[in-house]
Amino acid sequence: MSPMTRRQLLAWAAAGGATALLAGCSTPGTVSPNTGPTIAPAAAGERITLTYWAWLKDLQKVADVWNADHPNVQVEAVWIPGGNDGGYQKLYSALAAGGGPDLAQVEMRTLPEFLLVNGLVDLRRYGADEVASRYNETLWNQVSYVDGVYGIPQDSGPMALYYRPDLLDRVGAKAPATWDEWFQVAGAVRDADMYLDCFALDDASWFAAMATQAGASWFRVDGDRWIVDMTDDATLETARFFDRAIDDGVMTTSYSQFSPAWFAAAAKDSIASLAGASWGDALLQGVSGAEGKWRVAPLPRWGSEGYGSTFQGGSTAAVLANSAHPREALEFAVWMTTSDAGIDAMIEHSGIGWSPNDAYIGSRRQQPSEFFGGQNYNEEVFVPAAKEQNNEWQWWPLTQQTFNILADGFRAKASGGTLVDAVVQGQRDVITAFRNKGLRIEAAS
Amino acid sequence: MSALTERPARGVADDPSRSGSQRRRRTSVAAPWMLLGPFLALFVLTFILPIIVAVGSSFVRVSRKGVFGEEGVTTEFAWFSNYAQALENGNFIASIGRMLLFGVVQVTVMIALCTLLALLLESASAKWPGFFRAVYFLPYGIPGVIATILWSFLYVPGLSPIIDIAGAMGIELDFLGAGTVLWSIANIVTWTYTGYNMMIVVAQLKAIPGEVYEAAKVDGAGPFRVAASIQLPLIRPALILTTVFSIIGTLQLFAEPQVLQTVSPAIDNEYTPNLSAYTTAFAYNDYNVAAAQAVLIAVVAFALSFIFLRLTSRRAS
Repeated sequence: MSPMTRRQLLAWAAAGGATALLAGCSTPGTVSPNTGPTIAPAAAGERITLTYWAWLKDLQKVADVWNADHPNVQVEAVWIPGGNDGGYQKLYSALAAGGGPDLAQVEMRTLPEFLLVNGLVDLRRYGADEVASRYNETLWNQVSYVDGVYGIPQDSGPMALYYRPDLLDRVGAKAPATWDEWFQVAGAVRDADMYLDCFALDDASWFAAMATQAGASWFRVDGDRWIVDMTDDATLETARFFDRAIDDGVMTTSYSQFSPAWFAAAAKDSIASLAGASWGDALLQGVSGAEGKWRVAPLPRWGSEGYGSTFQGGSTAAVLANSAHPREALEFAVWMTTSDAGIDAMIEHSGIGWSPNDAYIGSRRQQPSEFFGGQNYNEEVFVPAAKEQNNEWQWWPLTQQTFNILADGFRAKASGGTLVDAVVQGQRDVITAFRNKGLRIEAAS
Repeated sequence: MSALTERPARGVADDPSRSGSQRRRRTSVAAPWMLLGPFLALFVLTFILPIIVAVGSSFVRVSRKGVFGEEGVTTEFAWFSNYAQALENGNFIASIGRMLLFGVVQVTVMIALCTLLALLLESASAKWPGFFRAVYFLPYGIPGVIATILWSFLYVPGLSPIIDIAGAMGIELDFLGAGTVLWSIANIVTWTYTGYNMMIVVAQLKAIPGEVYEAAKVDGAGPFRVAASIQLPLIRPALILTTVFSIIGTLQLFAEPQVLQTVSPAIDNEYTPNLSAYTTAFAYNDYNVAAAQAVLIAVVAFALSFIFLRLTSRRAS
């Protein structure tokens, strides 16, 4: 008997490597969770624990409200970094390893990306249809794909115009009702050494929301292929409008909304308004000395075209592929997002965005706000905004990549490019990216 | 790995007739392996295997039926198509080019700076060399992420006193613009690693025997002559080492641009090769192309290091 020789050791390593290679050959996320039989509910009296990975703060306190009434279905909240800042990366690798939580916070726009890696349970198989009527119609459309429902809307962000009446007064302006008016006010505000708003060259989601409001619908499913139409009139008009705003210098591109530089500028009274989502109200309170100075008006309209508002952001509670208890997970998600107790707890502890349940926006949000000078802005502005939405808009499996492609094009604005060019070229690049993923896609003629 | 530890013990028990010296020799052959065992196990598991898996998956491709692949997904061997796709990605190529430019400037500046600091600290007239060595080395003790956050307070307009002061004097500074942010990153990297590289050079300077200096003094060489004719040639190995490490480190730049991204719109998601691979894998979920990118980054780093070593050794001989 001899000790292990170097040759044996190498043979071992090679054998181990070969095994790993075989295991690695099936690329993660290539098996669908929605083809087998449905998973039965837990037996009566059986005690189960669901895990929920999310980046909402103090989510455990919300879960505890549920846990107190449901001793057999306990929910444990685990904090992950927000979305693409590391949360999705964590979820994707957990899924790739065959694990992961029962529930996860997934943004509306990211649901199709999780679908692409077979990461989501089709909730229609567990009775999601019965609760569909409780949710905002537009949001429900954004969680429904092909024949399934792949997430429960958790919060959203209808957009409006936050503005400073005192700063607009200086130039004799009021909150603009249309984008044309907005452009004139922006020029006047600029002459007074302020900006009406900024344009983020590094994040296309704001631009996409504006195009959505104008009536754009970039992607739709046609049979077994995607149809992309990023160069429709609504989008190109939007692009031209903001091209002009940036070229005329009435919009700054040197920072983006709610960035440190933006907060510094807002505190120095050099930002007069902000086209932002409902969740911006909490962020505005981070501007030093802003108390009582801001008001909220409806988002300016694109003339007679388009819609009254648009959603920016919004997330879902999705049931992940490897959950052992999808039925109970769905029940919890529905409780959390539609019951008065659930919504109020989510607002109080986690500070969620807009309630996905049109019937109840949360008791706190029915009150006038001191920060906004006593304006009852939620009832006044955001309740109607949540209903005046573009129902055609759907997200697609390469949303993040598309936004990155657009942002790459937008950055060229600094060196003489245009947003219009970025959108036109972006569509071509997106088509290539879809085909590289093995998906069928055509440009709308 | 249990086989590694059990075998010698059993070998001894099976054969009691063996002489003492033989037994000792057997044990002494087994001992290194036993000591190496835990390391080797982890090394193979966390280093060798991931490399093999990454190389393997860089040759595999996934294609889908249906709009989400809900009608079936197939995985097939794809030869070099992932590599082709990675190389067709203009952003990835641009990121490598950007890092080459970054490396040429930043590594040169940093190596020159660390050599200068080391020579000053090791010169006869240096005051408090121990104190300054510690001060110069200090930034290395601050993790890259924290360092970037610290520096970003000096870069962000509205927060930065530097920008305010320059603005008061009529100079418009923009540290985070498309043309400048690369050098803002270079500044952070230089700040962090100059002290570290200086330590390596200082160690080599200390290894120069005293007689050489004495001989130089006898020959009437001043401090500049000593630096040029004695110290610089003798610290060559240390300079080559630090340069190679820096070249590799440049290609692996990740934390600084990723953190700075939150304050600089000019940094895209594929700003450096590693950011590009990270984005491809974990934001676009394309593990196979990301694996190809990772292999390409390794190849480039290897090639650059090899070329540099080749060039320097040729000049030496």
